[in-house]
Amino acid sequence: MSSSTNPIVKKRRRTTRPGSEISITTSSKDVKKVKLMSHEPQEPAYSEEKEVDLRDPQKDQAMFATACGEVKTCMKNIYDMKMEGQQPGPSEVSEKRIQASLNFVTLKKLNRVAHIRCKKAKDVTHESKMKVDSFHLQLQNLLYEVMHLQKEIRKCLEFDSKDEDIDLVEVDDFYQDAPAEISKPEITQKDPHQLRLARLDWELEQRQRLAEKCKDAQNNKDIFLKEIRTKKEYLDSLQPKLTDVLQSTQPLQMLSMPYEETRTQHKTARHLPRPLYILYVQASAYHEACDKRLSVNIEGDLEAAIVEESTNHAIEIESDSDDETAERSKRRRRKTGDVLKEKRKRTLKKHPLKVTLTVKCSDGSVLCLTFSYLILLQIVTVSVKLTPASDSVVSTVTGGDLLSANSLLSCLFPEDYGNDTPNTANNYQLSKLGMDSFRAYISEVGHPYMWVQRLAGLEFLEGDEDQEVPRAKSSVSASHIEATTKALRNRVTARLALQKQLASLERHTIPVPSESQCLFPAKLDGKFTNWTSIPYEDYIILPYTREVQEAEMVNEMDMLFKATFERKSAKLNAAIVVPQDYPGSPSLFSVQISWRGEHNAQNDESIRLMESEVNVHFKEIMAHGSPDYLLTNQLQRLLMCFDVYLEAKSSLASLAAPVEFSKDKVMPRLARGPHRAKPYKYNPHHGFFSHR
Amino acid sequence: MAVNFEEDIIKQRQEFHMTVFCQCFSPCGKYLVAANNFGKIAVFSLVSALSPDVIEDNRRPILSFEGSKGAIYTLLSTSKFLICGGEGEIRAWNWSDIYKKTPKVAWSLSNSSSVRFDEPETNCLLYNEKDNTLFSGCGDNNVYMWDLESGTCKGTLSGHTDYIHCLTSRNNGQEVISGSEDGSVRIWDSRRTSEAMHVVEPYKHEECCRPNQGKWIGCLAVDSSDDWLVCGGGPSLTSWHMRSLSPTITFPTPDVCHNHVMFYEDMVSGH
Repeated sequence: MSSSTNPIVKKRRRTTRPGSEISITTSSKDVKKVKLMSHEPQEPAYSEEKEVDLRDPQKDQAMFATACGEVKTCMKNIYDMKMEGQQPGPSEVSEKRIQASLNFVTLKKLNRVAHIRCKKAKDVTHESKMKVDSFHLQLQNLLYEVMHLQKEIRKCLEFDSKDEDIDLVEVDDFYQDAPAEISKPEITQKDPHQLRLARLDWELEQRQRLAEKCKDAQNNKDIFLKEIRTKKEYLDSLQPKLTDVLQSTQPLQMLSMPYEETRTQHKTARHLPRPLYILYVQASAYHEACDKRLSVNIEGDLEAAIVEESTNHAIEIESDSDDETAERSKRRRRKTGDVLKEKRKRTLKKHPLKVTLTVKCSDGSVLCLTFSYLILLQIVTVSVKLTPASDSVVSTVTGGDLLSANSLLSCLFPEDYGNDTPNTANNYQLSKLGMDSFRAYISEVGHPYMWVQRLAGLEFLEGDEDQEVPRAKSSVSASHIEATTKALRNRVTARLALQKQLASLERHTIPVPSESQCLFPAKLDGKFTNWTSIPYEDYIILPYTREVQEAEMVNEMDMLFKATFERKSAKLNAAIVVPQDYPGSPSLFSVQISWRGEHNAQNDESIRLMESEVNVHFKEIMAHGSPDYLLTNQLQRLLMCFDVYLEAKSSLASLAAPVEFSKDKVMPRLARGPHRAKPYKYNPHHGFFSHR
Repeated sequence: MAVNFEEDIIKQRQEFHMTVFCQCFSPCGKYLVAANNFGKIAVFSLVSALSPDVIEDNRRPILSFEGSKGAIYTLLSTSKFLICGGEGEIRAWNWSDIYKKTPKVAWSLSNSSSVRFDEPETNCLLYNEKDNTLFSGCGDNNVYMWDLESGTCKGTLSGHTDYIHCLTSRNNGQEVISGSEDGSVRIWDSRRTSEAMHVVEPYKHEECCRPNQGKWIGCLAVDSSDDWLVCGGGPSLTSWHMRSLSPTITFPTPDVCHNHVMFYEDMVSGH
């Protein structure tokens, strides 16, 4: 039977009892548990593991509880039995005891089963855990691989192949230019990769071609350079030969062709400042082409000029640093006056080279003009020297200033007095250094006439406040040189003639040249008694010159004279304005007659007419004689009108007073027109006086 | 440059010595025309020159043209024409042309009768609307009557011994009064050209004569009632009673010789 094997059963854990579990599980809660052990005859071993799988843990737990309960009841029974006092039979106790021990067997089995169950569970979990671990590991591996692959992909994507950098031609151009083998349009149009490849191919081919061309060009360049080098050497070797030739022509030059001289002059000319250079070039050209009586020369210090050029840049920098040196010197307690003087001197400094122009006039007088260039002020000035021909020098009292260097060339062209610098920037420069206006320095540096600037090619525009200094242009110079030389000559002749006239006027004779004799009657009764020159202040206080001043027809620069005619009791005073550019501007007369009262242009219409006869109709006078004698002819005409006036007025006023002046002149009509004009116009053919 | 400068000088001198001899108004009254001793006629616009916000430019002539080569001594304005007389022939321009700023000489009259070497100037003009006659007082001592319809000289009033200074008319144009350099004022009947009806010689009268100034008569005016005549010039400005031909009032203006005088309402003004 089965019970004998029970205490040893626990040693046979590994055996299995498939059939018995069923029976155990179906047993109810009996006190007795009969463990049926049915051995499977076929099964060699008793597997408790299998048994465990089949048992229900809940039931096991209940069995455990019952077993424990049974043990407890057995014990209790035993105790009870013992307590009852009756001595139980040892067999009952031992039966109870055996029953209790049998329960122990159950308990042990249950314990075993529990252990096995746990172990199985543990195994299962362990297995699953192992599986999970391996999956986890796989997952990790895969993830790692994924990451790796991703990195690789990224790297691949980021790979910047050089071909991205190349500027390829546009696709359309590419299709146009590339030959068909390369462009393979059928393939490339579908496949962008192929297209790119094709384009790269084309690019490569083009580059190769161009590289070839470049090499060829480089070769050519080398060849040319070599040629140039050989030619240069040849030319260099030529130079000494040329100088030899020049030397050998020296004796020829002695004869008649001063080439050497002109060459040295041209060399010097190269160091001239630009405006003077233009002047020199134009003047020499003019001399060669048109005018043999005009000659040009360069004077001055050549080395100083060369030094000047090299320090040309330094000047501007210096002028800025000058302020610093001035301050520093103040701190050093040096006299600032010295520095300022230095600066002032430098402002007025002339370029060391000067151009001289010598103009010979028809009467033998020589006019010598020296042009200097003021470097900082950037204008050209001229100083004048006139050597009149020996026979034309006449000394005059009134005409003292005529030929003076200061006023000889004043107003050569209208409004060109030459007293102020034409460069408006100069005013700022001078005032910055506290210097007076340019006028004060004219004696040092010469006159900055506008025509001088134009000859030197500098065209200053008037009234332009912030102009830059114009660059000297030779076109400006060329257009002016002929007019200027003519004007210069005319001016010299006019001044000399004027001087002569003034001299004879001082002797109280009016010189009338033969060609102008026809303008006047042979005999004039009035006498020319006085001729003086008056200063401007005296002129303006004369009452009969008021209108001229109001009309602004006189200014300080003009030459002013006073003439007096007399005839018996009548006296004529005339104030004469001779402008600087006489005879370009004719002289202006203002007349006053004292005869039976003071008459002048304001109160006597006839005198006004007399003035207009002399002032307005000067062109007739000029037509009949040279313009140089305008002043004297005007005076003669005035004298004639004076006679007419006196005689006409006398006759007209014959009622009031006896006729003082008999009518010597032939005047068919004494008065005409509403203003009762006197017959001032002389008709030379018939010798009578008529009205205009 | 030199030529321009010369012209500038001449122009400057001329301006300095310019005399305006005469002026008149246009028929519409908006323009003033003046003529000077160089023969230029200038038209000024009164509206712009007299307006309150006048600028310098407005005072300049809006049109100026050469009227004649010599001086122009007198201007006359009729409803259709602007007539000028001076050295040379008498010329006329249409006002319509002048308004359009394209003046051209409409017609001219000249004294072709006198063949002297010295063509006489016209010193004054007088226009009689009724029979379209133009009277011109000339330097050859005569007053010519021109018929403007035909452009011929209808007659001559001669009798003066020196040139005529001024003309005025009286009695609705029937009578013409002329004052001359010879000191006489002659009153003519315009239909009879033989000789003057009356002759007045102011310089012979004590009250008005001024021997220092001369005897010439520079200006004449007759008032609206035709009773009074004012004349002046060498002798002082005097008003004469026409009926009796005697001087009545002398206007004392010492040292001034009058060139123009006119009656305005009941005042006499002259300078």
